[in-house]
Amino acid sequence: MSLMKRFRYQFMKDLGASLIMHLSRHTRRSHARKPNPHFGPSLKNTRRLKQIMARHYFLSRYAEGAKPVAWVTSGAPVELLRAFDFYTFYPENHGALCGAQKVGPQICSVAEEYGYHRDLCSYARIDLGACFSGITPVGKLPKPDLLFASNNICQTVVYWYKVLAYHWNIPLIIFDTPYNFEKITEKEISYMVSQFKEMIPTLEEISGKEFDYERFLSIIRSAREASITWGKVLGTMKARPAPMTIFDAFGHLAPIVSLRGLPVALRYYQSLLLELEDRVEKGVGAIANEQRRLMWDNIAIWYKVRELSDIFARHGMNFVTATYTNAWVETVAQLDTDYPFESMAKAYSLVILNDNLNYRLELMERLIKEYQVDGLVIHSARSCKPYSVGQYDLKQLLRKRLGIPSVIIEADITDSRVYSEEQTRTRLEAFFEAMEH
Amino acid sequence: MKELVTRREYLIEQKKKKGRKVFGVFPAQYPKEILWAMNVLPVEIWDPPLTITHASEHLQPYICSVASLGLELIMQGKCELLDGFLFPHTCDSIQNLASIVHDYLGTQKPCYFFHHPTASATASARAFYREQLTGLIARLEEQLGPLDKSALEERVQQGQRIVRVLSELYDLRARGELDASNVEFYKIIRSGEYLHPDDFLPLLEDFLSSARGSGSSGKGVVLSGILPNPLEMLALLDELGVRVVQDDLLCCGRRLPASARSAHDPLQALTDSYFVMPPCTTKNSPMHARVNELLYKTEQSNARGVIFYIVKFCEPELFDVPQVSGELKRRGLATLVIDCEVNQNLTGQMVTRVEAFAEMIS
Repeated sequence: MSLMKRFRYQFMKDLGASLIMHLSRHTRRSHARKPNPHFGPSLKNTRRLKQIMARHYFLSRYAEGAKPVAWVTSGAPVELLRAFDFYTFYPENHGALCGAQKVGPQICSVAEEYGYHRDLCSYARIDLGACFSGITPVGKLPKPDLLFASNNICQTVVYWYKVLAYHWNIPLIIFDTPYNFEKITEKEISYMVSQFKEMIPTLEEISGKEFDYERFLSIIRSAREASITWGKVLGTMKARPAPMTIFDAFGHLAPIVSLRGLPVALRYYQSLLLELEDRVEKGVGAIANEQRRLMWDNIAIWYKVRELSDIFARHGMNFVTATYTNAWVETVAQLDTDYPFESMAKAYSLVILNDNLNYRLELMERLIKEYQVDGLVIHSARSCKPYSVGQYDLKQLLRKRLGIPSVIIEADITDSRVYSEEQTRTRLEAFFEAMEH
Repeated sequence: MKELVTRREYLIEQKKKKGRKVFGVFPAQYPKEILWAMNVLPVEIWDPPLTITHASEHLQPYICSVASLGLELIMQGKCELLDGFLFPHTCDSIQNLASIVHDYLGTQKPCYFFHHPTASATASARAFYREQLTGLIARLEEQLGPLDKSALEERVQQGQRIVRVLSELYDLRARGELDASNVEFYKIIRSGEYLHPDDFLPLLEDFLSSARGSGSSGKGVVLSGILPNPLEMLALLDELGVRVVQDDLLCCGRRLPASARSAHDPLQALTDSYFVMPPCTTKNSPMHARVNELLYKTEQSNARGVIFYIVKFCEPELFDVPQVSGELKRRGLATLVIDCEVNQNLTGQMVTRVEAFAEMIS
């Protein structure tokens, strides 16, 4: 690592980033939105969230050459990397951001020109397109020294990271989590623990740092606390009216995904929790007239979040829970400093997408009951096969077991070219009608 | 060439006359020797000749036709002969399909899942693979009774003999010393997807002795992808005088270990064999390993190009193709990428592209 770059990074971290972002806020024109009568007041912490994430992306530009940089999949056990002081970057989060800013198709098409088929995951196509062209709404992506992928969320991320590894000729570490077709076994846990131990020498070599066990434990502790606090944040939506919508939560999810294990994530969720608890106490709802409560299944349709949020709010419907936002609550809270490797293996193997469909059915039933859900909206996402295959069955089973109405929206997470306005509108009209009876 | 009976007739005969259980096995990698040793005939489900009418109740249209046709086979009630299912962990679609069949379809047939490590051949991966073998045996024993260890040894040895004969067939074909068309060759190779080794091995040996000789001197290509379906593609290549001299197909060459591994301990032999299989997209083999493998196969067989024959929506293949084909092109090899649904008729456009490719390599 270059001394000059390290100095520059440290300067930016301690002073420069805050200063530049402060100046940038003052020079940027603000486009104040008209208040929407269907919604309650905006969350104050949203501004803080934007600052945290902007700072994370901003600093990533200076991390290259100053710190070891790793690109990491959203479900990978990042706690281990943090013990070696890696600057971590999450391509999936970047993909979501590109989707929300509606530049997904433009960047995907770069990857398509390089031969990556339109049927492939659009997060992957955005990432590859950004790598090949340098196009990104965040300015610049830091070139990684290491790629770290776990197949606990899908096999796709591993195929995708293999492409990056070849493109940059850098190491790829795969954390292999056996799929839980039935209950997890001790042998599987032991296999995953062995993998962690095999990774340590490679991580030491790439980072130039020895494994600091005590630091690792403090990171585990911080990740656990942040996950528990994120769980409490989501838990406030059990209140009637719910103080936040799941569309808000899709945004507030970013720190638990990208900054898990760092103190900033925990501090942020503590602050958000206080605000939400205050709203619950005062009976302030996220939407003006909460008549029905819904659950969302699958990743967000990032380019349609605002529009969908508005459509549902106009019908007095609020999304109060989602299998997606819940994914970082379910298991990371099980991290245990007494058994750090074993608990990390379990926490990362037992995530929703690495579990059989019965587990998912039980989880959805539990969330429906706990959050007093009246209806279910299922996003069948072309990009995400492990999330989407089985949804048709889950829809039928939940209808049969709980009598809950549901609708499937066929779409994609960031590639708006496959989204059909007309089909979605027709399906939603039928759903709204069913919900009113 | 010996005429083969239909698959259904064969399975009925196996059950009635040999008293064997029959398992439906989804793609791709699994320790078939263990099933043989437990008197189970594994019948692989790759591309049943069906039209999808029922599977779409469970699977979205963007799921590949291998997974959809496999489910269709079950839903059309064409698996009544089967005594169980085995799902190797091949991709996300097969993983969730396994859960749909096991948890929701109510087939009343036991379902087994076989996880093979997808990271590299580390000590933990090797140990885990072996544990998967013992775990599978334990679960099968609950249904089928105890495994006879000497039967496993015999079946492992028999599997090794099959590997040796298959390797010899591939070598002869690569050298142009096998007198068989593309269609004939792959019909024989793929009959191993449902024949018992007691029948498959003699069939291969007969084929080896009868077809040994001067083969077609046509232009050679390597076929890469999941499976050689539809057969019309192979027939078209035959017609154009293009010989498939090697393959990198998941259902064929990628399941042929680099060498037959002998060990006193059969589980060790199976573990060793798994880790010397050719690089494969479904096992996350690094890109450079796949490039090197294809370069080796083209050089060894004097192939003039590689046809990537991809099943539509197959993510593991589609992610690898741009870099692998790009690298081959840089080394002066001709490449052609075609993606189509399984059992789909060749379109006029596909035929034209293959014809143009054949012309280019001549």
